Amino acid sequence: MNFHTNPRLLYLTSLLIFVALSLAIAIYPAIEASKVPPAPGLEPLSPSAQRGREIYVAEGCSYCHTQQVRPLPQDQIFGRPSAPGDFAYSTPQLLGTERTGPDLANVGNRQPSSTWHLIHLYNPRAVVRESIMPAYWWYFQRKDQAGPGEVVVPVPDAWKPKGKVVVATPDALALVDYLLALKQPAVSAPSTGAGK
Amino acid sequence: MARQTVRRAPEADLYKQSVARLITETSAREDPVLTRILFQYLGWAAFWLVVGTLAGGIVALKFRFPDFLDLPFLSFGRLRAIHTNTVFWGWTSLAMMGLALYAVPRASKTELYSVKLAKIALWLWNVMVLMGTLALASGINNGNQEYREYVWPLALLFAASLLLHVINFYNTIARRKMKEIYISNWYILSAFLWTLVLATIAYLPWYQRGLGQTIIQGYYMHQGVGMWFTPTVVGLTYYFLPLFLNRPIYSYALGVLGFWTQLVFYTIIGTHHFIFSPIPWLLQTIAIVFSVGMMVPVWAGTGNFLLTMKGIGGLIRRSYSLPFILVGVISYGLASTQGTLEAFRTANLTWHFTNFTVGHAHFTMYGFVAFLIWGGIYGLLPRLTGKEPPVKAVGVHFWMSTVGMAIYVASLSVGGTLQGLLWSAQKPFLESVVAMAPHWLWRAVGGMLMILGHLVFAYNLYHMRPAARSTVEARSGREQ
Repeated sequence: MNFHTNPRLLYLTSLLIFVALSLAIAIYPAIEASKVPPAPGLEPLSPSAQRGREIYVAEGCSYCHTQQVRPLPQDQIFGRPSAPGDFAYSTPQLLGTERTGPDLANVGNRQPSSTWHLIHLYNPRAVVRESIMPAYWWYFQRKDQAGPGEVVVPVPDAWKPKGKVVVATPDALALVDYLLALKQPAVSAPSTGAGK
Repeated sequence: MARQTVRRAPEADLYKQSVARLITETSAREDPVLTRILFQYLGWAAFWLVVGTLAGGIVALKFRFPDFLDLPFLSFGRLRAIHTNTVFWGWTSLAMMGLALYAVPRASKTELYSVKLAKIALWLWNVMVLMGTLALASGINNGNQEYREYVWPLALLFAASLLLHVINFYNTIARRKMKEIYISNWYILSAFLWTLVLATIAYLPWYQRGLGQTIIQGYYMHQGVGMWFTPTVVGLTYYFLPLFLNRPIYSYALGVLGFWTQLVFYTIIGTHHFIFSPIPWLLQTIAIVFSVGMMVPVWAGTGNFLLTMKGIGGLIRRSYSLPFILVGVISYGLASTQGTLEAFRTANLTWHFTNFTVGHAHFTMYGFVAFLIWGGIYGLLPRLTGKEPPVKAVGVHFWMSTVGMAIYVASLSVGGTLQGLLWSAQKPFLESVVAMAPHWLWRAVGGMLMILGHLVFAYNLYHMRPAARSTVEARSGREQ
């Protein structure tokens, strides 16, 4: 029996080592982490916010915006350090690996204005001149006049077609519902957030 | 010196049985059928390279001109995933598979088990990349999970194609006409097996809720590179380098050491992409510790290749392939060492979440993997088809890609460091966006050079194309 001459032995060994290590380092810890109960005070998303989360995923927002606050001084502006229980309702997970834009784990508390979010989504540069975020104009309609019950977005004149009003579609409203729902529940004691 | 005086029996024997005869045999024989299938893989790979890097170029410009091409299907969040997935799966994977279809049987001194399986696998893969690209453009993705953005039905095509390759390669190696399994085939077939497991683990849903999915994501995004691209391209280099240089690999034993340490260390360090996250601290520490262990396979491979290339200075200037291989090998060592350093908590304080990581990703996937693939293609194809690419055009490709990559990596490394320092100084976030502007512009310049280089590569590839089927048949008919 020899790895150099026995292909079955060689490839079976390399395969089984990989499977065994994967079970130990990824699958078992993932099973455990999947069971973490929600942090106290964490609410499941409303149907509209859930729809907003799907749009967030479809547009790849998490490539630029993390949703994890690290226990580091430079992250304090974004909220308290994230705890495992914060993510109990977050599947697919959107912790992210890059911050081209700011962290959004607690954006619902940091920026609670739905009007600001709607203008910002229509064209970020209308509210933050240096922003490089894409404009998501396709979640809005440009009309001569708003219909009954429609949400008019007060976009500054310089940023919209002349003589038109900008109306938010249900998808835009859902996306804002999701952003406003991103609120870290307060923790009473320094805990990991697991358990009650 | 020691090598001349002391005969190291096991290595010398392995070399005699495998590499030396393999080289003469390969150069003596051309196989038109295998050459054509290799070229089909490479042609599609080059097509996806151009598509994938054009997408990358548009993405790069959007960092400076956010309203450039602001259409839904070309918006940043969709196009970024198209860029990464197309260069990963479309270009790099197809090119590696094509080269492996040649290297695996030749390093076994036998025929490929089934050309038909190779053809089916190519089309399954192409359909996956095409459908995946269209789906991503339409906003249909697998939850923004990096490099597994293709939705699960497409992952079935991914797994089916890999399985066909595994069957093909295993049967080829089992029918080898030499005693030993040459080291390149240890790496290559194992990488296909590992990636099959990896894809399965990545797409089964039961253990992927909330933070559990984050753990799988760290594992997956690391192994997608470390257990697929790295071992396959290292294995291919163990085949190409002795072949092109007509000399044995410096140390066979180092290759074996690299193989086992690659398997053990790379597999368990995925969590180093989520340092300071709420993932259990112990998992993060294990990942950091064994990221240092990763230096063993990296420098076993890099050192082995460099020592094999020792004293070829004169040859490099006259070769199409060796300059690419040299850049690839040096990038392998340097970029992987950079990766190890980035895993430390101290480094994460500054560099995590910044564009420094994006520079690192291109240093590895481009400087290391793509350059070794190009080295293999330029070295192998002219031998098989008898057609040389235009010498100057190969030089243009080499320098555009090398200079482009250097600008790309340098600008994002400097800019990323600046981002991290501004964050640490607790400046308003927007300052880091404004400060990046010149660096993002330089990155786009580097990226444009790379894209132009790829167009030249596609042109060179066309020049090295095999003769049309009818010509080959007519010629072999005459020979009979």
